[in-house]
Amino acid sequence: MDLTRRRFLQLSGVGALGAIVFNGCSIPETELEIQSPVLIPEDVVAGGESWYASLCRQCPSVEGVLVRVVEGRAKKVEGNPEYPLNLGKHSARCEAALQELYHPDRLQQPFRRDGATGQNKPITWDEGLNELVTRLKALRDAGQASRVLVITDPLRGHLGKVTQLFAAAYGAQHLAFEPMERVVLRQAIKDVYGQDRLPHFDIGNSAYVLSFGADFLGTWVSPVSHSVAYGEFRQGEGRGRGLLVQVEPRFSMTAASADRWLPVRPGTEGLLALALAREIIAEGLADPDAARALTDGRGIAALDAYGLERVADDTGLTTYFGKERAVQLIQEVAHDFATKRPSLALGGDTAAAHTNGLFNLRAIYALNYLVGSVGAKGGVIFNPPSPIDDVPDTASGAPLSRWQEVAERLQRGEFDVVITRGVNLVHGLPGALQFQEALKKADLIVSFASVPDDTTAIADLVLSEHVALEAWGDDIPDPAPGYQTVGFQQPVVRPLYDSRAFGDVLLAIAPEIGDDLGAALPWNTMQDVVKEGAQRLFALNRGWAKATAPFDAFWVRVLGGGGWWDTTAISAQKAPGASKAPAEPVRPSFAGDASSDAFYLLPFRSHALLEGRNAHLPWLQASPDPTTTGVWQTWVEINQKEAERLEIREGDLVELVSPAGAIEVIVYPTPAAAPDVLSVPMGQGHASYGRYAKKRGANPFQVIAPQKDETGALAWAATRVVIRKTEKRTRMIKLEGLVEARQMEESPVIQVTRGEEGS
Amino acid sequence: MTVRTEWDHKWSMVVDIDRCTGCQACVVACQAENNVPINTEDIFKQSRAIEWIRIERYWEGEFPDVKARYLPAMCQHCGNAPCEPVCPVYATYHNDEGLNVQVYNRCIGTRFCANNCPFEMRFFNWWQPVWPESLRNQLNPDVTVRNRGIMEKCTFCVQRIRRAERTAIQEERDVKDGEFAPACVQACPTGTLVFGNSNDPNSRVAQLMKSDHPRRYRLLEHLGTEPNVVYLKKVDPYLKEEAHNGSH
Ligand code: SF4
Ligand code: SF4
Repeated sequence: MDLTRRRFLQLSGVGALGAIVFNGCSIPETELEIQSPVLIPEDVVAGGESWYASLCRQCPSVEGVLVRVVEGRAKKVEGNPEYPLNLGKHSARCEAALQELYHPDRLQQPFRRDGATGQNKPITWDEGLNELVTRLKALRDAGQASRVLVITDPLRGHLGKVTQLFAAAYGAQHLAFEPMERVVLRQAIKDVYGQDRLPHFDIGNSAYVLSFGADFLGTWVSPVSHSVAYGEFRQGEGRGRGLLVQVEPRFSMTAASADRWLPVRPGTEGLLALALAREIIAEGLADPDAARALTDGRGIAALDAYGLERVADDTGLTTYFGKERAVQLIQEVAHDFATKRPSLALGGDTAAAHTNGLFNLRAIYALNYLVGSVGAKGGVIFNPPSPIDDVPDTASGAPLSRWQEVAERLQRGEFDVVITRGVNLVHGLPGALQFQEALKKADLIVSFASVPDDTTAIADLVLSEHVALEAWGDDIPDPAPGYQTVGFQQPVVRPLYDSRAFGDVLLAIAPEIGDDLGAALPWNTMQDVVKEGAQRLFALNRGWAKATAPFDAFWVRVLGGGGWWDTTAISAQKAPGASKAPAEPVRPSFAGDASSDAFYLLPFRSHALLEGRNAHLPWLQASPDPTTTGVWQTWVEINQKEAERLEIREGDLVELVSPAGAIEVIVYPTPAAAPDVLSVPMGQGHASYGRYAKKRGANPFQVIAPQKDETGALAWAATRVVIRKTEKRTRMIKLEGLVEARQMEESPVIQVTRGEEGS
Repeated sequence: MTVRTEWDHKWSMVVDIDRCTGCQACVVACQAENNVPINTEDIFKQSRAIEWIRIERYWEGEFPDVKARYLPAMCQHCGNAPCEPVCPVYATYHNDEGLNVQVYNRCIGTRFCANNCPFEMRFFNWWQPVWPESLRNQLNPDVTVRNRGIMEKCTFCVQRIRRAERTAIQEERDVKDGEFAPACVQACPTGTLVFGNSNDPNSRVAQLMKSDHPRRYRLLEHLGTEPNVVYLKKVDPYLKEEAHNGSH
């Protein structure tokens, strides 16, 4: 007899039965419950399983994954051991792709909002596409195609190509949106190294990593690939232990892992980088050509503005460490960076997110020239262009200046139709832009979404989109791992609902809008497009699956392997060499209260939710923040002594007020914060984004003032806020107990060694 | 099915905390693999979140010389496990492959074992776990969903061990070192976690566990529970200097 636990309890007494009835509606079905009192977990017999290679789209780095499928249902996401970026590893975010697939609030079919009632009413795809096509066709026939705006996430690979072709052939404007774009980083890489794509940071082979603001182990650029390399960097076999120094005003996950954390004042990262350059040159430790170029042949006199003591003061290190130790620390870092080679300097995030972001990053990346780390093992390695030439291999969100312009044009009624896909503009743009109001000026907002978010909520036409695990696609990683790589994404389960892939929809409507559009996009489905890309790779006759023929065999092989890569196809480009450092530093400027009552506001990407993209996924909501262990909420990290001075305690609700607005957050006093900064995680504050994200926490974009760098990018760390107390209190929800976790001296569970034993 | 019992297996883990970044990949991987209920806000509020593996973060020092130290912690599969003898119904016992096993359908929920575990690695199901219907599609069919009233904890992914052993039986060979890993080990991007058969002196785990490894230690070793998980110490080249500077 198949005696389930439930039945077992029912038979065994009224008490148990009562409890079951009480909980009746929430009892799971029996299939996975204990089947027999004789079988024990050790003996559970597993059924058949299949593993499909695909790509993870839970963050912009796009890892190669294997998905376990049992009886048509996806059960587990793991890193693809073959995929060059992540080598079999993955992040918490990748796992949660399953919760996106099976999200209880997924859109199950398209919707149309009724103009009069504001209610969403289910429609068929035919109805939805008819409306869209009719509208697009009419505008185009009237010569008003430019009144259509297409906004997507930054798209690489063939979906990028299809979207670009569609927008160009139609005559619409296409813009890519990322809440914390990498405009400054890309510009700096271009200026300093002459590169159009991001380089590979060779952390695994480096002996010394000096990182400015870049939370590269948490969320910056390609965190899984960096983490794999970091493991090697620390304790890889056959190499010495690498040293990591993190220069960052906030105590990020990377700062927590660093051997030294230098909490400089926000916006002074470039200043410190140039002081280090000056010191390295003064000590005679620099590559002579690079030193000459950087100083314009004048020697360290050219860098007079970056004297040690002055920079120690300006960066705030003097305040925290005392003058003597601050100067010593800078000298030590300069000396170690120059002598413990190969060494690597990298920078981004808060270092880039200032009004002087470009100045900072240029100074930081120039350091690599001084130690011969440009284009060298353990340093910055350039990436080759895409193996398929007309397919985008890099994509970046547009800078804030573009969004301001778009907001104005929307306000002036210059756009009739706005199509969004994979972007939550309402949540991710600074509140001061009032983008929601601007968007509403458009006649028709079309939103492609799988779980409806804040932007979907104001859309007129909501088109249910496949999630990544249901769709075809590919990716050319940016940064690539130093050689040409293309990842393939295949559906691992049948689509659950009446949804479609964005690319498939564009391909389907193109010929309906006009014959020329149909001709520009001559494919039926994204699968065809991706397959054609594979055909071009096949024709190259190189890469790991080289000898596989005919094409069909090759196709099966590269799909099964998760992609195509050619470790010999590396960049042939030479570095242009260092250029002259600016004689005078560019200083950051801040919006908001300049008085000593105000704090620098440092918003940061949540390790799991990122800027909010993953807020709908319960595993990630429940994933403790690595430094505070906070979950499900929005808190503000404040220096413990400052909190005492202000008489605020953990759990107090306070308002952070900037010229742009105010948000209410929970106080978390921490020993790991500089006295003059406040850090707030991004990710929450959604008006709607499924049951797990809705009306939870606060969105720091509401207080970030729309400050810009010279590239026009949002300087998201350039706002100062004051704390306004409220009378309210709540409980800060976290994994850590009620008492701050410090080790008991008599029995430390974390043992630490200086490491002289040769380890 | 009969399970072959003559394996010379002792499943062990090494945790090199010098590599750990606190990224939480292992934690979510475990929850996905093992049908751990969703830790809602309410559950966290009551400090009853279930994490078979968790990352403990300890502060050391004061600003600016402050450190956060990470400790991935899971059931230590103690060779001399204090959780085992207190169970009145033998729901928890030691198997011959080094695992501390929890038999869910024997468990009657006395919670004596949790009380006796010095590492706090046991979790009680205070509520019936619930998933919205659609999310149930993700549940791992190899792993039992635990009902209310039942104790659970890290199993070293026994279902993966069994799968690997069954495959080996079918292919008439031994289980190869590294051919499978528990979900946390598989995920961990930095290589902090290493798993394997410590009875095989050539396995990676055995190499790292060696008694003469300069960084070897075990948690709360003085309690004599003989943990089957070996930790490798954190390296901090600035340790003494910081201790000195932090003390004023
Ligand atoms: S760690 Fe705790 S639960 Fe695990 S075997 Fe040891 S005493 Fe038992
Ligand atoms: S996955 Fe690895 S690095 Fe990340 S928290 Fe777990 S043990 Fe640490």
